[in-house]
Amino acid sequence: MNQVNSNCPNFNTRLETTSVLVNKVIDGVKQKRIKKRNLIWLELTGCSGNIISLLDGANPDFKSLATQMVNFIYDNSLMVSEGEAAMEKLFSVIDDDYILAVEGAVSTKDNGLYNVIGRCRGQPVTAYEAIKKFGEKAAHVIAVGTCASDGGISAARPNPAQCVGIQNLLDRKVIKLPGCPCHPDWFMGTLAYIMLFGEPELDNRQRPVMFYSTLIHDICPRRKYFDKGIFASKLGEKTCMFKLGCRGPVTRVDCPVRKWNEGVNWPIGDDSPCIGCAMFGFPDKMEPFISYNTT
Amino acid sequence: MQRIKISPVTRISGFMEIDAMIDKNTIIDAKTEGLLFRGFEKMLEGRSPFDAVYFTQRICGICSTAHSIASTLALENAMGIIPSQQGRYLRDIIHGCEFLQNHIRHFYQYTAPDFIRLPEGNTLFETDHNDFRLPKQKNDLIVQHYFDSLKYSRNAHEMLAILGGKAPHNHGVFIGGITTQATPEKIKQLCFLLNNIRDFICKKMIPDAYTIAGYYKEYFKIGRGYGNLLSYGCFNGYEKLGTLFVNPSAYSDGKIMKLDPTEITENIYSSWYVANSDTYTPYQTIAEPSMKKDDAYSWVKAPRYRELPYEVGPLARMWLSGDYRNGISTMDRTLARVLEAKKIADIMFTLLSNLIPGVSVQKEYKAPQNAQGAGLIDTTRGALGHWIKIEDSVISLYQIITPSAWNLSTRSEDNLPGPGEKALIGTIIKDYDNPVEIGRTIRSFDPCISCATHVYSNGNLIKTMQVVP
Repeated sequence: MNQVNSNCPNFNTRLETTSVLVNKVIDGVKQKRIKKRNLIWLELTGCSGNIISLLDGANPDFKSLATQMVNFIYDNSLMVSEGEAAMEKLFSVIDDDYILAVEGAVSTKDNGLYNVIGRCRGQPVTAYEAIKKFGEKAAHVIAVGTCASDGGISAARPNPAQCVGIQNLLDRKVIKLPGCPCHPDWFMGTLAYIMLFGEPELDNRQRPVMFYSTLIHDICPRRKYFDKGIFASKLGEKTCMFKLGCRGPVTRVDCPVRKWNEGVNWPIGDDSPCIGCAMFGFPDKMEPFISYNTT
Repeated sequence: MQRIKISPVTRISGFMEIDAMIDKNTIIDAKTEGLLFRGFEKMLEGRSPFDAVYFTQRICGICSTAHSIASTLALENAMGIIPSQQGRYLRDIIHGCEFLQNHIRHFYQYTAPDFIRLPEGNTLFETDHNDFRLPKQKNDLIVQHYFDSLKYSRNAHEMLAILGGKAPHNHGVFIGGITTQATPEKIKQLCFLLNNIRDFICKKMIPDAYTIAGYYKEYFKIGRGYGNLLSYGCFNGYEKLGTLFVNPSAYSDGKIMKLDPTEITENIYSSWYVANSDTYTPYQTIAEPSMKKDDAYSWVKAPRYRELPYEVGPLARMWLSGDYRNGISTMDRTLARVLEAKKIADIMFTLLSNLIPGVSVQKEYKAPQNAQGAGLIDTTRGALGHWIKIEDSVISLYQIITPSAWNLSTRSEDNLPGPGEKALIGTIIKDYDNPVEIGRTIRSFDPCISCATHVYSNGNLIKTMQVVP
């Protein structure tokens, strides 16, 4: 827990990236140099874990986001209005400037009726319709979490609701922040970067390089065990978990440095393998998550 | 006659539509509709049994730990593994963290905005109704706590991550207990955070709940439902510590009885599924989705105990354990939840003080060729059951019955409304244009389904609120 991964000053700088960016935005908004942008957060076919993860963000926290950074227009989990009045707030910004954050995949089965997100003027609004409508007109679209990015667990075989990631339905640039859930820093940092400078540099899977450029395996504190060929045969051991099915060698994201929940821990710090939740193809291509076949 | 539909019901986890029929200001019929289907049970077939622990957490982002615990219990049951007491303590501490995270968020972020006015000038906090009764000073104090509470629910997730790697979707809960070990440093850090959280619960959250209760007294008479209460038990049956909270039990007709899990069934008469029989036991079948059913109105199925609907959750547990017996209503549900948060914090201190640092509870496990098992446990929202069948060492059947399926169940052939529907029926709606009573009562169940709720009645559509005909 809390062990220092490396003495490289680059790591410390990276950890500060999000708070530096967010504080710059907040200062800019206060001084009226930067315009508060409208933010819509759509929860589609998923578990709402990304909005819960966002509430876990601490530096700065959700209050700063909602009161100092953006006009938070819509989120099913947190908004006070309900029913048609809530949906009217959502639709009120469609011709205005707004940034769209989406968590959850899009169910395409039966014309999208496997996921109805509300009613507008009496008519049910499916997730499918909502993503088409709001995705096309948004200034920026951010796929928050693995389901929105690539379908994720909502699209796990046999994919009963025929779920797809939002990019499949949108003929435009989507910024992807895979991770199950998305780390609050990844979202807050990306949003702040957009407000300051526009779209961040993305890799060939449309992920911001500032968070997704590192292979977990390359900076894993247990890498020395891998290099020496010392492998764990069960969970709970302190050595390399490669043979238990660890997906660190294929997963690009900064968990080993950033860690989770105010930086207290991460899955490998808990003596369990990475299951590749931020990796394209999760879960089907990352299975089995746990394997005792260590030969 | 009036018909009201509310969709989405916000400040719940997932999507719900309520369809209610109103005659002379009184709700005479109500339907709760869940309008999201993912099909986890089908997805689990053919996968490694061990993966279920991590896979099923993704059912829900606010109560993901609940699923990791139920699936671990189901696996242990199938594999004949009895975890050590240290393993149980560690796992139950993680479980407690989720209770704290959830109850604090539910009270402040989900419930309080129904009764207090949040700051103006922010679209997220705007509301349409006007039934705010607290004097400004008291209102503003709770608003301050609304924002303060973000820190404490966050701290509860931080505690969870200390033992469980991360939250949501932890890595710690597993067969035998958890994957890692307690250390003196971790125990100290957990006690420190828990102490602050408990302080917030006792000094802010519980008084705030009573303040709200004092200004909205009629909610002690609204939203009773059937008065049937059920729990699978939790924080119970320890070798040395005995039962710290509640044993598996049910309450009906004024009597508490021991729970018999073989009496649990599920029904799909009003849900968008087909199966050989509309009623089945958990091991029997997994219903297939089908939207081509005339009388169906929801993706939520109808769990029953001895063929009757039962309410589950904090009030059920606190009632069955004898910790809270004031009444069964919308406001009692809210009070039971905040009081339970304190109870859980105290239980967690007991478990923490019984931890022995440096004990590994993991072994090298082998998936059985053929086996079946059940994991029944009370989680934040109530009774959660996972049932697993293993054939050729992979999952051949996986059944999940969630707490919100109990509370927001649909009707079976007997046309008995689910507990949430029943709690709405009889409620007086003061202002048709802003039927605030509906959301308040439905939210007291802390729904965790993607569902949509219509407030609705049988026939004559005269006026619709919030929704067009």
